[in-house]
This record gives sequence, structure tokens and C-alpha cells, in this order.
Amino acid sequence: MTTTIHQTIATELREIYQSRQYCAPISTRLPDNDVAGAYAIQDINTDHWLRAGRRLVGRKIGLTSRAVQEQLGVNQPDYGMLFADMCYADGETIPYENLQQPKIEGEVAFVLGQALDGDTLTIADVMAAVDYALPSFEIVGSRIKDWKIGIVDTIADNASSGMFVLGTEARKLSEFDLRLCGAVVEHKGEPVSTGAGAACLGNPLIAALWLARKMVEVGRPLRRGDIVLSGALGPMVNAQPGDAFTLRISGLGSVRALFSGTPP
Amino acid sequence: MKNSVLTKLASRIDDATRHGKAIQQLTLTYKLDIDDGYEIQRLAVARRLLRGEHTIGTKLGFTSRAKMQQMGLDQIICGRLTSGMLVDDGGTLPLAGLIHPRAEPEIALLMKHDLSGPVTLPGAMAAVEAVACAIEIIDSRYQNFKFTLPDVIADNTSCCRLVLGGWQRPDSDFGNLGMMLQFNGRPVGIGSSAAIMGHPARALVAISQLLGAQGRKVKAGSVVMLGSPMAAQPLAPGMHVLAEVERLGRAEFTVR
Repeated sequence: MTTTIHQTIATELREIYQSRQYCAPISTRLPDNDVAGAYAIQDINTDHWLRAGRRLVGRKIGLTSRAVQEQLGVNQPDYGMLFADMCYADGETIPYENLQQPKIEGEVAFVLGQALDGDTLTIADVMAAVDYALPSFEIVGSRIKDWKIGIVDTIADNASSGMFVLGTEARKLSEFDLRLCGAVVEHKGEPVSTGAGAACLGNPLIAALWLARKMVEVGRPLRRGDIVLSGALGPMVNAQPGDAFTLRISGLGSVRALFSGTPP
Repeated sequence: MKNSVLTKLASRIDDATRHGKAIQQLTLTYKLDIDDGYEIQRLAVARRLLRGEHTIGTKLGFTSRAKMQQMGLDQIICGRLTSGMLVDDGGTLPLAGLIHPRAEPEIALLMKHDLSGPVTLPGAMAAVEAVACAIEIIDSRYQNFKFTLPDVIADNTSCCRLVLGGWQRPDSDFGNLGMMLQFNGRPVGIGSSAAIMGHPARALVAISQLLGAQGRKVKAGSVVMLGSPMAAQPLAPGMHVLAEVERLGRAEFTVR
């Protein structure tokens, strides 16, 4: 059920993408811990954007690290929608002026060769459906001022999605160690964020399984060709105009995120 | 600092280590510099050698930003590994006699050739015989695990015990391997070897320079512990501790 307050908040959040007049946390206008209400707001915007002609190409999974879950007082991940216009390729310049308080995270992306539908999905179904994996940067953003987010704020705000960058060397699941693969984000040659596959819910495939089941439950099952950003492998890093970052994931290759502009 | 004072402080450190009793930081009473710290370390470890232990290698400290942040210090340091510090892989570690031990996952190297002074990264790697997953157990002899740089150097860089996994050939790159520490089957730390100076082989270059400047060397046949990419975690009785490094394998022990 959507009510006027959901519609109002959804419209406000949507307008901030252009105005960049970041708002106060919206959770204060909803009941405590109103996760259902938050997803209702996200859904209003997803439907709006689909009607406006944006192409849905996948999902992101958020809140996949234990540290972040503890910080927000939750014990499960969340999801957001990925549209075609959010996707960049390795090394393409990302216009900084189109971002909202951007931070970057290194992740494993999965591209599906088969749909994941039905209410009894297993990890084997997910593994069979993954066509290939790629190293990817998620460039998260927040329409909430200074990222003062709780679980409700981030879910309503499309799980703090922004843009994402995909590497271009496709790897099969059997070609790397999903649980123990080392990951490092480098800025000017310095390791600014490090981690491993296990930082994402113990294994990025576990996150993908959670998502696949959730998408069936909410009536937007994952389809053939969908991109799944499975969740951060290390801490987030602030991105400034002109920044260049490299992500290297052991066995999976590397990807670069280049931001337009001159450093402050 | 006078030799007699350094000798006295070395015995104070050694006694604290043997009896498992925390002491006050030395620098609260004495004005020590880094050279004094290394001399106290040498003298304190010499007492272990007199009791029948032998030197087995070298360890590095503060090679990652995570460790520098945890301890509030920002300079790479080195300590001495002795035979009495070895715990068997799969073995047990009695907590009796330890003060406030913590564990961290590391990469260990076994040296094929000596290294000393300035060396290139390929030159340093050519001196490596084998590489392994390892666990270091650190245990500061200072109250509350608090110290300055000369203090921690004097205290043999908090070195307490080490566990070595099986040796592997060093012929594949270990610059970005996933590393994990688990207590009782649950992860308590997840990271990458890239956190060690961008590439852990750079830590070997650093130790060669550090020891060379002291007129010492990394010896053929010795073990080098390259430092932890993540914060150390406190141990408690009954715990099973497991470290895993992508492709290198694992090392484990049980706390008693």
C-alpha cells in the first residue's frame, strides 16, 4: 500500500538527483524501523523511472558487511535498482557533476545467463545461472545530507545507489576463489581499501542467493542478462573530482574508476 | 643512555615476559630513543638465548595502515624471533604466563640467501625459498597494551608466539591474497595482503634496509614475518584460532 507520505518522500528524493539540495533523514517522517515503508518509497521511484523509459539492468546488494550491519543495527542486507544509464565501462570518465556525495566500493559483479525465478531457489541454481563474474566499482551516493542514513533512509533512497563501473575481463566462477579472493582499491598507488570475498556475507554468492530469493518474493525476479553487484569487499572510500581508482581482485582482474573534474 | 641502565631495563622486560606480569612503559621514567629501544631488545633477547633458545628469524611490525592506526604509531619496526616462540600448527597455546595476548594472520617467508642493506624488490624476492600462511600472537609487556615507539621496540615489538603453516613455493605473486582470521569458525578479521605496504614483498625490502643500517642481516634459513594487514584480536581460553591465506593454505591452534 502506498500512501501520500510515501509519494511525497519519493518525489523529494527523486528531485535531489538534479538539485543536489540534500535532505535531512527521511526516516523521522515514518514509523520507527519502517522497512516496508522504505521499500514502498523505493518502488514508487522504480515504477516512475521505468515509465520514464529507464532500462532496468540489474540490482545492487547493500549492507553486506558485518561491520556496516552492526553500525545500522540490522541483520540482513538490502537491495536497490540498477539502470542502464548508471553503468560505465572500465576506464570511462564518470561525470562527477552527476553524482551525489559519491563514495566507491570494490565488488564482485555477476552477469546472469539465465533467469532466477521460482520460490525454491538454491545456491546451485544461482551458480548455474551466473554466466560470468567481473570486478566492479560501485559508486554509491546519498540524497541524504552528509550520509546521515539509517536503514530506512538508505532503502527508500534506492539503497544509496549512484553509478557503477564494470571490468571487461569475464571470468567463470570456477576461475577464482570467491571466498578468499584478495581485493584492493588503490589511489595514486596507495592501498586505500583492502578486503576479501568473505567480507561480503561470507561469500558474494551467498549475497546473490539472498537477492534472487528476495526478488522472487517482491515480484521482480532476476532475468537473463541482469547484472548483480554483490556487495563491498572492503570499506568505502570518498571520491573527489579528478580522482582515479583501481580495483584489483585476485583471480578476477582489475577495473578503473575515473572521475571528471580537477582535484579540490 | 648508559649501558648499565639499558641492561637493567632489558632485564625488566625479560622478567615481565617470563613472569607474565605487565609493567609500566619504560619511557614514562627514562628518556629513550629508537636506538636505545633496539639495544634493550638485543640485550633482553640475549637473556633468552642464554637460557638455551636460538634465533630463528625476524618479524616486522606496523607494515599496514590498520596496524599503525590500532597502535597509534607510524614507523616500521622489527623484532627477533626465537625458538621458544614456536607453537606447532594444530597445537595448543596455554594462556598461563601471558598477559593480554592477541592473534593476527600473517605471511611468513623462509629465506634461501642472506639479505642486508638496500636491495631491489626482484633481488629481495630472489632470496626467498618459500612462503607460508602464519599466525603471530602478540602480547605487549606494557600495561593496557600502550607504548611509544622506543617502548615497543625494547619489548621485542610485542612478539610472543608464532604458528607456521606449510611452506609453499614462492613462484606465484602474493601481492593481493585474501587473508582471514577466524575464532571458533567465525571470521573476526578479513583483509588482503595488499594492505602490507601495497605489496608484502616491499616489507622484505624494508627489513633488509632496516637490519643493514644496524649492521645486521636477514639470514639464509631464517623466517621473516611480514606483519599483519589487519588489527590483532584478543584471545580467550578454549578458542580455536584459524588463519587462512588465499592459495597459501592455513595455520591454526587452540588456546588452553
